[in-house]
Amino acid sequence: MTEVIARSLRLSSPPDTVDTVQDLLATIWAQTPGLDDADRMAAELAIVELTANVIEHANEGGDITLTLSVVVYDERIEATVTDSGTVDRVPLSDGSMPESLAERGRGLPLMKLVSDSVEHHRVDGTNHWTVVRARRTASARTRRAMPSISIAGVIDEMARQRALDDMGILDTPPEERFDRVTRLAVQLFGVESAAITMIDHDREWSKSLAGLGSEEVPRTESMCAETVKGDVALVVPDLLLDERFAEKAQPDLFRFYAGFPLYAPGGERIGAFCVFDSQPRHFTVRETEMLRDLAAWVQQELTVSQELSRASEVQQGLLPQKLLSMPGWQIAGVCIPARAVGGDFYDWYPVGEGAAFTLADTMGKGIAASIIAATVRAVLRSAARFADVVGAIDAASASLSIDLDNAGVFVTAFHSRLDMDSGTMTYVDAGHGLSIVVRPDGSSQRLTSSSPPLGVDPETEWTQQTVDLNPGDTLIVVSDGVLDLYDGTLGALDNLAALALLAQDPWEIIAAIRARARGVTADDVTVLIVRRDDAV
Amino acid sequence: MDITVVHHPFGVAEVGVAGRLNMVTAARLREVIQGAVDEHHPNVAVDLSRVVFLDSSGLGALIASLKAVRQSGGELKLVKPAEQAQLVLELTNMSTVLAAFDSVEDAFPHD
Repeated sequence: MTEVIARSLRLSSPPDTVDTVQDLLATIWAQTPGLDDADRMAAELAIVELTANVIEHANEGGDITLTLSVVVYDERIEATVTDSGTVDRVPLSDGSMPESLAERGRGLPLMKLVSDSVEHHRVDGTNHWTVVRARRTASARTRRAMPSISIAGVIDEMARQRALDDMGILDTPPEERFDRVTRLAVQLFGVESAAITMIDHDREWSKSLAGLGSEEVPRTESMCAETVKGDVALVVPDLLLDERFAEKAQPDLFRFYAGFPLYAPGGERIGAFCVFDSQPRHFTVRETEMLRDLAAWVQQELTVSQELSRASEVQQGLLPQKLLSMPGWQIAGVCIPARAVGGDFYDWYPVGEGAAFTLADTMGKGIAASIIAATVRAVLRSAARFADVVGAIDAASASLSIDLDNAGVFVTAFHSRLDMDSGTMTYVDAGHGLSIVVRPDGSSQRLTSSSPPLGVDPETEWTQQTVDLNPGDTLIVVSDGVLDLYDGTLGALDNLAALALLAQDPWEIIAAIRARARGVTADDVTVLIVRRDDAV
Repeated sequence: MDITVVHHPFGVAEVGVAGRLNMVTAARLREVIQGAVDEHHPNVAVDLSRVVFLDSSGLGALIASLKAVRQSGGELKLVKPAEQAQLVLELTNMSTVLAAFDSVEDAFPHD
């Protein structure tokens, strides 16, 4: 019977010392039947040398906190030490003893001598040490029966998962730039399927899949989970004939596999680029090289993804973060770009005895549109000094016209100012026309547009319009991506009006739209809502 | 850790160590041996038969003491290292530098 003894201890030095560690070890040894003296002495020596070294050096002599865990299995004794010391470089590789009369420097070499494996990893500013001593008493049978889970492996997996999460790629919609590569691989190798997979917790998820197979596979059945264990191509001509992987084979569905690992920017293996087939086949050295080249291509696209996800963070940061302090009013907004970044934005900021509200939609999507959107936002904000919305939009239009002309794009915008006491909103609608006011009696009014978009005609005479927001009224401004969530026509505005009547507050409306937008955003989806509280 | 010192009439201080000789106790052993040297005992025999645990810090204290004793013209020798201590001495190739004997008399014959 396999009995595992595990003890964990948190130490702070001072006052804790290696004596605290040795007292713990004494209780563990007492509970371990049949423990060989040589194993006990070796494990204790290794663990004491390790903790002494951490106490003395990891924080350059300063106070330190560390956690020690010791696990005694039938066939090995494993100890991990986790500390938050500042020292991240450890001379582990040099296991030689110092000259004979030296008083120091024997600790780590001694630890290496008496253990079967010593590993050090630094993850997120924390040192993780693992020392393993294989027990001499372990029989070949128990050795085989034990699952080979090493604590170092667990730490590697933690770093790997974090790197993958940071990529922000999981569960994102398919992208042509990845699909292109998998399609090409299918043609190039004449195989049934090719995939770009990510190994996420207990599943394999495909960013791109050409051919047969499912987007998600349990990790235990995944061949790519095997590929990420190494830095080389994993090629299995016939899974059924390979005892390591025979269990993963599916006759007439999954027999041949070749994969190459994919990496996060920090070098962690997060997934694989692979080809597979229902028939066994030979894979030549030349083909393996081609597979590696295609994997390198995917790798490059992944790096672009990483940059885009950073750009996305920057753009989300441009959306208003602070709630306006407007007693009697509720304000909410959301912007869900179709890609990492988009050409839509909404904005609000205090002006005089109220606030300015903007929603704009740049023609096009992606990075180019996002750069224009950021410019429009900045220009409109700086025009807040003008007394009215016409002055502001006029100034913005004048300074944007050259940029928009050069880029060959135009921007539709709803720009307004609200007097929060009277509820009077003045606005300019530059070719946008997707704003409605929903009244508590169930009626709704669309705020029609009478002006062209920004960037069409620099000589435009902007027309200012007015709408009164009475208690219980809700103004909803959306981008045309929201229409696509319904039937794609202006009729969608009726759906929004119905939604507004049912919803308790603006955030409920946003939550409903967000739920609809999940996974199907072909266009940027942006919503701005201003609701006046019911009269008391 | 317990340390006892016996002053033998033939110029040898016998230092008996019991318990763990580690990072916590190493400095005390050095002080005790230095004290014996200061009291004009040229030779020091360190009895390790009751040491249940010796690590690199304890070993470092023994080597530092050896150097201090030699500077005063004496010698430091070990007496009956326990099994674990013997293992550490061998693993670190120190069993030749810190020679071990079966008794104080064997370490320092005084005929």
